[in-house]
Amino acid sequence: MMNKSKTLHWSFDHNYGAQRDDFAQSMINALDEYQSNLSNLRENTRIRKYEKRVYQILPNLWRGYQANNNKLSIGKVITERKYDENNSIWNYRVHYQNTTSGEDLIFEFCCLDKSYLPLHDKWKVDVKNTSSDVYSKLSLSGHLTSEEGIQLTINNTNINAGTIAGAIPLTCNWALLDVMPIISKSKGSLDNKHTIAILEDLEHLRPNCHLGFLDSINYPMRLDGYYLYGNGLLPSYWWIDANDTTVIVSAVFETLVLQELSGDTQ
Amino acid sequence: MNNLLNILFINTDQHTWDAISAYGNPYLNTPNIDRLHQNGTSFKKSYCTDPVCAASRSSWATGLYTSETGVPFNGGQLHPEIQDIGQLLSSNGYRTFHCGKWHVPGRNVHESFQVLYYGNRNIGAGGAAYYDSASTHAVADFLTNYDEKEPFYLQIGFVDPHDVCEYLHNHEEKHIPNPIEQGILTEDDLPPLPINFNYDERETILHRVCRRVDNALIHAPILKAVRKWDEFQWRYLRWNYYRFIEKVDAEIGRVLSLLKQTPFCNNTVIIFSADHGEASGSHQMFQKFALYEESVRVPFIISCLGEGVRIKKDRLDNENFVSGVDLFPTICDFAGVDIPATCQGKSLRPLAEGNATPWRDYAYIESNYWGRSIVTDDYKYITEYKPKENEDFLPPGPDSEQLGFAQLFDRHNDPYETVNLVDSPEHQEIITAFRDKLIEHESRLIRQEIVHQNPKRTIRNWGNRLREYWKHGK
Repeated sequence: MMNKSKTLHWSFDHNYGAQRDDFAQSMINALDEYQSNLSNLRENTRIRKYEKRVYQILPNLWRGYQANNNKLSIGKVITERKYDENNSIWNYRVHYQNTTSGEDLIFEFCCLDKSYLPLHDKWKVDVKNTSSDVYSKLSLSGHLTSEEGIQLTINNTNINAGTIAGAIPLTCNWALLDVMPIISKSKGSLDNKHTIAILEDLEHLRPNCHLGFLDSINYPMRLDGYYLYGNGLLPSYWWIDANDTTVIVSAVFETLVLQELSGDTQ
Repeated sequence: MNNLLNILFINTDQHTWDAISAYGNPYLNTPNIDRLHQNGTSFKKSYCTDPVCAASRSSWATGLYTSETGVPFNGGQLHPEIQDIGQLLSSNGYRTFHCGKWHVPGRNVHESFQVLYYGNRNIGAGGAAYYDSASTHAVADFLTNYDEKEPFYLQIGFVDPHDVCEYLHNHEEKHIPNPIEQGILTEDDLPPLPINFNYDERETILHRVCRRVDNALIHAPILKAVRKWDEFQWRYLRWNYYRFIEKVDAEIGRVLSLLKQTPFCNNTVIIFSADHGEASGSHQMFQKFALYEESVRVPFIISCLGEGVRIKKDRLDNENFVSGVDLFPTICDFAGVDIPATCQGKSLRPLAEGNATPWRDYAYIESNYWGRSIVTDDYKYITEYKPKENEDFLPPGPDSEQLGFAQLFDRHNDPYETVNLVDSPEHQEIITAFRDKLIEHESRLIRQEIVHQNPKRTIRNWGNRLREYWKHGK
């Protein structure tokens, strides 16, 4: 069991005054649940054909973001991915629920089974707003054009969302949860910077992003950390455990912490 | 479709004037705000009325200076009898909509506008990571569905780059190594220190007590943290600030791309501005609350993506002093609504159309209840009122006897405000003239007494600290 009195790494240490000590406790509780959950997995294999993960969203700063139920968590992210062997692609479904913004988003997309998990073909995002405003929902879909452009359709209105340089792989920030472990496993790449393009939330193209090795730590568990920097993108830090799973993702405002993992080799 | 113009007011939060790539800043990329500039007129000498969110926004909403609105600092409350832009336009044939950050305490945004999106916890300071994308979605939904006969007024309050405050809060109680130590960035990646990183120590007592002393009234824990920063930490703050701006620029881009595809493109005038700036290391300061240029000077662009609004395009107005009080009458003018006689601002429409019109030769700015500034082409004058012995909660002024310390900067020879001329014998007449100009300007203001208990408590506490400093120098 983890020792909550120890100091967290600076990239996700938000356990100070403004957080009333809840941050580390909430993080450790979630990670404990993940670890006990891990031991129950039928096949503790590194390559699952289907995988589901649940991340808690912890606010890095307390002011105004505490959930009503007196828990620090302000929502969760449920990621599911399933391997399509016939086409060698991963099909993703990511459900992002944020109780502070009120937005509930479902991202559906697919990625080629290659390093960097390049975004493939078309995708869609269904958005619901659970707060009591005029705006209640939005539908967004997109696809890659033959000219390496990104075409979006928002409520039946088409817009161009940018063009990618051919040599740079384009992926989605949610697929990075699986890209980071791939990079982590590839020997010799730890000191290298990797350049990728990201379609953030399947909407905003960030064409020039860099990721690389940050640090290795032993608390709250054995983790390897990676940074992601880029124009138009806030720095974020991704931490991978010994099971090649991304367990912590921290940016300026929020930290995702893995709480549940389930999956199957079939 | 009617012949009246639709009006879209897009605002960012804590966006200093030159943090836009179209104006030559090489350290960030803002293609979408650049697009607004290319399709409209930018005002180079644009100043907020007060370098904090709530106060400045109270001026936007009413066309009044902040000592007149009841919000002369962040904790004030808008006087209930003052009409806001939503109320005025909706009683004159417009459908009025709000989306995102409002932050005008004392005025329920739902009573003045139809609210497209406001989140689950009322958007205040911070939280762009949660709210800005949702605001864009709400506006996307609006633009792709609006089919009413009436024209619309829509104001979108984006929170970024205000989240740079959260970046700073993150440093309060822990050491975050600079990214060069971490091998993430190289020195070449970071913007340089600002030219005016060092500062004039003869600042007003108000500024010292609010921002400089150990137990500063405003954000003392951040002050304590940044005192330990090395050069790279300050430069990294600037690097981060520009990333927040790039994020909000992308949101603005999405709104513009969608607007371009709608039937409203040609007859929608777009106004872009920010409530206040960001020091970002200038004068070894962070955030706002100061009367230096970086904190008070903000973008102001009037634009149209189509050809249906007569606006001079791709033009930078270098001549005219623009204030946050001008937003309200400018909106009225484009909407064909009479400007209330009490309004302190003037419509910028003639200037945006390229027509000469009599205009003011200075900007007037308030700060933290007691702070004041006058900016002209030649000089910047900063001063303060001493706290009254018996606080009556009526914002101070006009009272030359009660003025405290001052700073005077030569805007031609010292645009970065590093050489305070207040003790220079040859500038004493100029200082007197500025003092007279301040008093003359303030004699035209209708100041509102602070009546609510919480803001009164803040003013009482701050006043006590200021009086102590005046008496004992600490």
